Amino acid sequence: MKKVMFLTVLVLMAIIVTACGGGNESSNASDDEVSLWVHTSDETPEGEAMQSTIDRFNKEYEGTYSATIEFIPRSGAGGGYEDKINAALTTDTLPDVLTLDGPNTAAYADAGMIAPIGDYITNKDDLLPSIIQQGTYDDQLYAVGYSESGVGIFYNKQMLEEAGVDLSTLPTVEEPWDWDQFMELSKTLVNTYDTAAIDMGFDDKSEWLMYAFSPFLWSQGGNLVSEDGSTAEGHFNDENSVKTFSFIQEMVKEGYTTITPVEKGFHTGEYPMKFGGSWTIAEMEDYPDVEYGVMPYPASPDTNELVSPSGSWQYAMAASSEKQEAAGALIDFMTSTESLTEITLANSVLPAAHSVVEEVQDKVSPQMNVLIQQNQNSAHARPVLPNYPQVSRVFQQTVSDAAYYEENSDVQKLLDEKTGQMEKALK
Amino acid sequence: MNTNKRENVAAYSFLAPALILLGTFLVIPALMAIYYAFTDYYLLTPDQRQFIGLQNFMEIFKDPIFIQSLKNIVLFVVFVIPIQVGAALGLALLINKPRKGNIFFKVAYFSPVVLSLVVISVLWLYLLNPSEGLINSLLANIGMEAQPFLSSPKQAMITIVFVSAWQGAGYQMLIFLAGLQNIPSTVYEAGKIDGVNKWQNFFHITLPLLKPTSVLIMITTLISAFKLIIQPMVMTQGGPMNSTMTPVYYIYQSGFSDRMIGYASAMTVIFGIIIGIITLLQSRLTKEDDM
Repeated sequence: MKKVMFLTVLVLMAIIVTACGGGNESSNASDDEVSLWVHTSDETPEGEAMQSTIDRFNKEYEGTYSATIEFIPRSGAGGGYEDKINAALTTDTLPDVLTLDGPNTAAYADAGMIAPIGDYITNKDDLLPSIIQQGTYDDQLYAVGYSESGVGIFYNKQMLEEAGVDLSTLPTVEEPWDWDQFMELSKTLVNTYDTAAIDMGFDDKSEWLMYAFSPFLWSQGGNLVSEDGSTAEGHFNDENSVKTFSFIQEMVKEGYTTITPVEKGFHTGEYPMKFGGSWTIAEMEDYPDVEYGVMPYPASPDTNELVSPSGSWQYAMAASSEKQEAAGALIDFMTSTESLTEITLANSVLPAAHSVVEEVQDKVSPQMNVLIQQNQNSAHARPVLPNYPQVSRVFQQTVSDAAYYEENSDVQKLLDEKTGQMEKALK
Repeated sequence: MNTNKRENVAAYSFLAPALILLGTFLVIPALMAIYYAFTDYYLLTPDQRQFIGLQNFMEIFKDPIFIQSLKNIVLFVVFVIPIQVGAALGLALLINKPRKGNIFFKVAYFSPVVLSLVVISVLWLYLLNPSEGLINSLLANIGMEAQPFLSSPKQAMITIVFVSAWQGAGYQMLIFLAGLQNIPSTVYEAGKIDGVNKWQNFFHITLPLLKPTSVLIMITTLISAFKLIIQPMVMTQGGPMNSTMTPVYYIYQSGFSDRMIGYASAMTVIFGIIIGIITLLQSRLTKEDDM
């Protein structure tokens, strides 16, 4: 008798579990209606611009295609949104079009989650090289970024002048400085102010360390992994890597930067310089007393080649979509010059296409224009690898560990150890 | 038989909500994790999941970060248990005596427990900033050198120990307080007649009678201490040099950042077994004491 009851309870439980897992959300839309999931909220300028683009799409394609947009705001580093994508993947309820962060391209493409969209995109020649690089896996275009990001060196004009620096000698995108010149400037500033010259964001031990520091390695001519992404041995521990990480270590060791920067230290005049992006320009609006300029990244003295960080969120088509034509048309529409200009201006971010640069450069601040110009000329996408999260984490830890110059004075040894970890991630 | 049957039905229907919830959110996920531990489940390709036997387990034992995380958590537990439980007992004794303003202190000691761990961690991040933080300013006032705290591989874990103990002690304090108030006053009166002093009072009456409460507190604190994740996640991201990487944090990272659900599940299984053994050992030890 007891057994019977127990079984009944089990069956009940099973019913509830299956009932929870059911529910097919996306299959009830009509044939030509495309669903789109985005990671932002409809209350942000970015979300409003997306909504307005969708409205225009629906007007223009009335009778042929239509699109609906669902806002799934992400939390912090992307938690909520990616959880939802992962869950939808398991239950086969992905939308037709979705947004994804740049470093996810390879993993999604490799898993067969997203489909190549090269055939649907009409303005490929107009898109910045870094956008194509970021969205391409296995020689096929899988995703198109709708904006760009970048980092420049923000400097406090007054503090530099008071330290005796002639602002007209500062580097430009056409004539960047090399690491030695940059360290020379840092030295002058440290001597004047007896504090770190630049906040490089060492306290943000996350993707930032990969995003902001990997361009140094590329500028030096090095790389994290081999061209085909199969091995790190002989790349991440080669001479170029040693030189790059020695430079990073030197910056900390000489006191030019600090691993524990004060919050908003640049904004409040504590540090004369800071690594910052378009978001820093927005932040600085609250600190009108600080007059600041932006200069490009320093380049390796061996190559003198300017390389700057880049990468942002993109649109892609789910491989499971049965409305590929319509989905392709939507992505093409959303990455047209008009749509990209709209979102770039609304969200105060860097443009993703040459034509958009033309459209916006007269409408933004000179500081923003330095970032835009640098991005157009020297942006480098992060590696497109399925195991990107692990590779990136090893790189982040290498930057962070290199900053402990006493414990890790032997950079070659540190890199050999980290190469081993990267190798493990790649297999 | 008939009444028996009816009683059974009643009993099971009372049990059903709890059983269903436990089953859905605890038993089934736990069983699934055990199954996934033997597969190469990659988060993005759930359909291509394959049974790979013990391969995950073999790799885990060779994984330096997992081993490091185990060492870290042992260090954490060894320090946090005495500090946190000791502080909780001390605070409970302090507010056990009827005194003016007791309510205020009770609330003050308990308030960190109510606050979100993330909020607490961010708060301490500011307090502990090596160049501008309040703690180092205080140290400077008494003539001590500024400490790196969270940015030093040697100090980071110990710093997290203190933050965690400060945050958690209030909860154990309340349980201790309940335990203290359960001790009948007659025992103390008897002690008084026998002329015991304050120390004897504490060590020979209060402590032994608090034993059941202490056992409960030790076990629950131990288990929650092993599950440390939020403080390092917010304050140090497992660094510097993996010195604050904990097993649960590493499991989270492997499963959700690296998308290696199979590998992460296998670590969960190993870690679950380790905690199980420790809990068993602990309850054995405390039982023997009783005899």
